[in-house]
Order: sequence, then C-alpha cells, then structure tokens
Amino acid sequence: MLTTLKIYRYDPENGGAPHYDTFTLEAQPTDRVLDLLERVRDDHDGTLAFRRSCAHGVCGSDAMRINGRNYLACKVLVKDLGTTEITIEPLLGLPVKKDLVVDMGPFFDHYREVMPYLVNDEEPPEGKERLQTPAERELFDDTTKCILCAACTTSCPVFWANGNYQGPAAIVNAHRFIFDSRDRAAEPRLAVLARQTGVWSCRTAFNCTEACPRDIKVTQAIAEVKRALVRRKPSARR
Amino acid sequence: MEAKLKQRPSALEATAAPGAFERHAWTWMRISGVLLIPLVWIHTLLQDVIVGVHAIDVNYVAARWANLGWRIFDVFLLGFAFAHGMNGVRQVAFEYIHSPRARRITAGVIFALWLVISAIGAIALIGGVNQEFPLQQQ
Repeated sequence: MLTTLKIYRYDPENGGAPHYDTFTLEAQPTDRVLDLLERVRDDHDGTLAFRRSCAHGVCGSDAMRINGRNYLACKVLVKDLGTTEITIEPLLGLPVKKDLVVDMGPFFDHYREVMPYLVNDEEPPEGKERLQTPAERELFDDTTKCILCAACTTSCPVFWANGNYQGPAAIVNAHRFIFDSRDRAAEPRLAVLARQTGVWSCRTAFNCTEACPRDIKVTQAIAEVKRALVRRKPSARR
Repeated sequence: MEAKLKQRPSALEATAAPGAFERHAWTWMRISGVLLIPLVWIHTLLQDVIVGVHAIDVNYVAARWANLGWRIFDVFLLGFAFAHGMNGVRQVAFEYIHSPRARRITAGVIFALWLVISAIGAIALIGGVNQEFPLQQQ
C-alpha cells in the first residue's frame, strides 16, 4: 500500500527554518516505521538523520514522535497506526540537533542526579553475593525494565514546560534502587526527588505510562516514591 | 567508596536542600482534594440547583449564617477549597516560571492574595450580618 511519510527536517548547518518533507513509498502493513525511515534514507534522501542501533526494541535509540505519540520506531508497525499517513517528529522537550536527532544531554543529566547504580559499602555476608528474596525483588522488578529511550520523559507535559523537572525516566531509575534491599543510598536519592523539581512536580497525566515501550507502570512507580517520601522516618529527613 | 561517592556531587549535595514544604504541600493537596468532593458537591447542589443563584439574597445569606453548622461548613469550604486552589495556581505557575527570584515573587504574591481573601472570608464568617434578623430589604 502507498504510504505517505511526513518527516520533520532541521539542519542547523545549512540554515533554514525547520520544515516537513513528504515522501511517498510502498509499504507493507507489517513494516516497522524504522524500515520506512531506512528506505527514505537509502532511496530518497541520504541526508535524513535519525538514531537507531539494535532495531529490536532493546537499545532505546529510536524513540520518536509518530503521529503525535512517542514510540520506538523499531517497535511500531504501519498497521498499528491505523493510517497510511504517518507524521514523524523528534521527541518534544529536548533540543533538536538535526532532523529526528535530539540532544539527550539534559535527559541524562537528570538521570545521573539520582545515582542510577547500586551503592553498598558493606561486606557481603561471608564474602558471598547479597541474597534477596523473590518478594524483595518484586518491589522493583518493573522498573528494572527501563531502556532509557526517553519516550516517557519527553511525553510528560510538566517536562515540556519545565526542563528542570527530574522527569519520569530518572524517577523510574531512582525507584529501581530505592526499593532494592541490597542498596544503601535510598536517602540521597529521595532527597533529590523531594525537591520541587522532583516527584512533587508530577501531575499524574499518565502520558509516561502510555508512552513506555517496555510497559513499565511509570506513574505507579512515581506514586510509590511519593509514598516513600511521605512515610519515611523524620530522623531520616535532612 | 566514600571518596568515590563524593566525586559524584549532584545527588549528594542535594541532600542539603530544604525539602519538607513540597511534601507537606502535596499531602495537603491530597487531603483537601478528598474533602473537596463532598464540600463542593453539597455547596454546588444547594446554591446552584436546590436554591438557585437567582434566589440567593441577603436574607438567604443571613439565614444560612445564623446556623452554626452551615458556618462550620463554610469555614471548611474556605479553608480547604481556596488554599487547594491557590496552591494549584502556585504549582502551575512554577512550571512556567523558572528563575528562583521570579518564583519567590510569584509565591509571595499568591500567598498575599490567599491571606487577604481568606481573611475577608473569615471576617464574614465570624462577623456575619450585623443586622437584626429577619432583614429588611433595601
């Protein structure tokens, strides 16, 4: 079937305002949007810029705005969109570098702030690994699935308006360690998220949950962090 | 490990940040939000549907004020609904105002507005209608 791709274009080196280019090409209903983008770059316009790496929904490189919603281009099929007119734009809320490529710097700055790594200075018992029960693991199982594609954070209306907001992805990754029984740095993470730019800025719009290509219950994770902040012992607060 | 952690500054430095206000504000919004469901529904049904806005005159206000139960209801409505709304305005404003100075000014203006209007409401609720009941229409 004949499919029309309307793609956001912006090239700061060659001047000119951002605009849309339209390409018409033959597509199968089972084609992924990423396939169509590759075909455009191979056959129509070699200057088209977009990120991709694994092309199988694991690396999180090709998150973009497709018909007004954030998807991984490698996970969404043409038939999923229910139309032959496809508009493809870069993620909102982050500066556009070129075409569909955005500057992920601000996104990763927020990610780094929540210390997304295990912190534990104690010796493991008898020199062995730190054991965890299935119930303990269950607490943060969902948030281990994040691939840092930024689909959630860049679908968040609060983040669009205020880039200082920590954003869903950073909170999800903080959640992953805050609720890990082996970790010892929940407190500094919670302190970051207790700021005005932390979890309290969340308006529970649920855009993040809808956008997540890994089906993480993002809004629920944010709510669990809020609850942890409300319930933590006064002595732990600084 | 301790030294290594100190080299990663941002998160640990942030532990010194003052933080309780936003937590209290958020908890306040939840509690007042739940209370607003009965408070606003009863208020709207009574004033706009059962009585009707065109039937509300000074006699109606005086009659309502004379009932201690309704006055307590209105204290709750003023206390919860207005503070809930003003904190909401602050939150929305903070999404668009990013400089600390502008935020302080905005928060100050919103707080002043809340204080003045709450005070006027409180004076009316406590002071009431200073005339004999039933009132004479002017």
